[in-house]
Amino acid sequence: MASVPTASQALQSQATADYVVRVEDLRVEFRTSIGVTYALNGVSLEIPRGKTLGVVGESGCGKSVTGLAILQLVPPPGVVTSGTIGFRSRESRTPVNLLEYERMGPEMRHIRGKSISMIFQEPMTSLNPVYTVGNQISEAVLLHQTGEHKEAKERAIDILRKVGMPNPERIYSNYPHELSGGMRQRAMIAMALSCTPDLLIADEPTTALDVTTEANILDLMRELQQEIGMSIMFVTHNLGVVAQMCDEVAVMYLGRVVEQASVEEIFYDPKHPYTISLLKSIPRLGTNRKEHLEVIRGSVPDPYSRVTGCPFHPRCPSFMPGICDTTMPNVVYMPDSPQHFVRCHLYNDLANHQAVPSGVSNSIGGNGQ
Amino acid sequence: MGNYILRRLLYMVITLFFVSIIGFFIINIVPGSALDARINQLRQQGGEVSYQEIQSLKARYGLNDPIPVKYWKWVSGVVHGDFGESFTYQAPVSSLIGSRIGFSILLSSFALIFTWLVAIPVGVYSATHRYTIPDYAVTLLQFIGVAVPDFLLALILLVFASKVFHSDIGGLFSQQYQNAPWTWAKIQNLLGHLWIPVIVIAASATAWTTRVMRANLLDVLNQQYVQTARAKGLREVIVVWKHAVRNALHPLIMTLGTLLPSLISGEVIVSIVLNLPTTGPLYVSALINKDMYLAITFLMALSVLLVVGNLLADLLLAWVDPRIRYE
Repeated sequence: MASVPTASQALQSQATADYVVRVEDLRVEFRTSIGVTYALNGVSLEIPRGKTLGVVGESGCGKSVTGLAILQLVPPPGVVTSGTIGFRSRESRTPVNLLEYERMGPEMRHIRGKSISMIFQEPMTSLNPVYTVGNQISEAVLLHQTGEHKEAKERAIDILRKVGMPNPERIYSNYPHELSGGMRQRAMIAMALSCTPDLLIADEPTTALDVTTEANILDLMRELQQEIGMSIMFVTHNLGVVAQMCDEVAVMYLGRVVEQASVEEIFYDPKHPYTISLLKSIPRLGTNRKEHLEVIRGSVPDPYSRVTGCPFHPRCPSFMPGICDTTMPNVVYMPDSPQHFVRCHLYNDLANHQAVPSGVSNSIGGNGQ
Repeated sequence: MGNYILRRLLYMVITLFFVSIIGFFIINIVPGSALDARINQLRQQGGEVSYQEIQSLKARYGLNDPIPVKYWKWVSGVVHGDFGESFTYQAPVSSLIGSRIGFSILLSSFALIFTWLVAIPVGVYSATHRYTIPDYAVTLLQFIGVAVPDFLLALILLVFASKVFHSDIGGLFSQQYQNAPWTWAKIQNLLGHLWIPVIVIAASATAWTTRVMRANLLDVLNQQYVQTARAKGLREVIVVWKHAVRNALHPLIMTLGTLLPSLISGEVIVSIVLNLPTTGPLYVSALINKDMYLAITFLMALSVLLVVGNLLADLLLAWVDPRIRYE
């Protein structure tokens, strides 16, 4: 972002070195009585420090599960079967693998809400109806920052003021049902940011809100991001929001990241056929009303079945028989833009003469079979 | 809130008025009365009972009056604390019930406390450990608890208590304490007898409540705000007990509304089997013998407890869940 020049220059020089969270080859399965669903099939992505990574894709592609998995909060019967989640806090830059911590153990709980916070899609249901907003915010403060109830209350009111609540003292003792949807999402953001986390995972935080409120909430998130200097993992299916909010974008399809690049490259120079189709399907102002909106033909395959080769091949406009339906494509880095990678056979010839950057290693591309 | 309570109290009075009319009417249209039984008894004992005698008895109990007159007499008595006289027991209704209601309330309160103390933790455990062996065990016990009839369980426990503990069983006191004044030893004796009826009365309620608690908590645990609580870094114990359980208590509180009447009538079968001096058997015998004033007094007491219980449950619910507001 242009508004944080010094920080962003510093980040540029460190390139891939400075990340908050690096997910590598993350696999999550849901073992249900009617079969195993493979929700994540080797997700690799990196959330740069102080920046916003957008994670986009259709429903069911594993966006939300990735967010939950970082906090080790994948609900049962979901289990993380392999992968690493490297986390580097502001204080100690040495990465720790979060998956080595016990799910509900003290180390993991110490990270949740303090170093990594999460806000959810449905502000109507994400606050507990039987406790006041203030109680729920100061609960987090009491847990991670201070044992003093009076101080916790002051901090909670403070953060409520920061998220733009009118009359924060009153809101403090309000119950969630007394607030509107937008106010509740502000309260959630206040709760998530009360302990100045390194990373905020926002799982479609504005999907349930009207556009005006959405714009306000997005502004608020950007402001607070600069103030606290945190990273945001922004899970959404709204590409308009991505364009406004994000520095980098990871496009997911069927439990894999198929392309990750800076937001400019995703919008102006998309490589993966899925990304290209996704962008074409955005309705635009000023186009001929009689023209049909582009759609991606077919639909997401049923998650119990596993497609051989590239999982997108049955729907892909650039499908190459004999290659796409047999072999899983590896990760290929764009030679002219080392942060831009894509997982597609169209770019196989680039893979031969590329310099693999130190970031996400190529070897994890593997095949997901 | 104050207005709401006042309005509810007014509705309660109106409801009870109609209940008393309908109840009194129904009890009176049943042919025969406890008096007939007594006349039969007198005949067996001493031969003939003259027509005059029958008429004088009927006049004494006001049986020849039209129903509205009877009703009026009864209601005006009730206002002065006179609930009429029992035909069968030949004693004032108020003293008959008064001598037994203490034990009924004691027994039912213990049973309620036992039910909640067992059902809530077990239900919570069962829900948080769903599909594990302990959960299956609890589920099995629940089905047994609901399925086994009270009286059978009472008999089994009686046999068990007499064989294993060699305790004298049945009733609420041993022989020597039956009419003794209240002493520490008598209280101990009472507690020694109390556990069998408490367990028997509480068994099916516990099983049922555990089931309800488990089902509700499973619903609540899937709510987004439980995930929010976890994402805050709270310990699982606090996530479950602070954030989930309080949201799962509603149906349990609503059952409190119907619970008050069962305080005096719920333990009928168990009391008969175990020979307990509670109000339940008295109620049943009043209905069987068509003991008019005893029966209508019971009916009214049950109605009062039902409406009061519902009001209390509603107020308690508003206290637990701030979303519930009464205007």
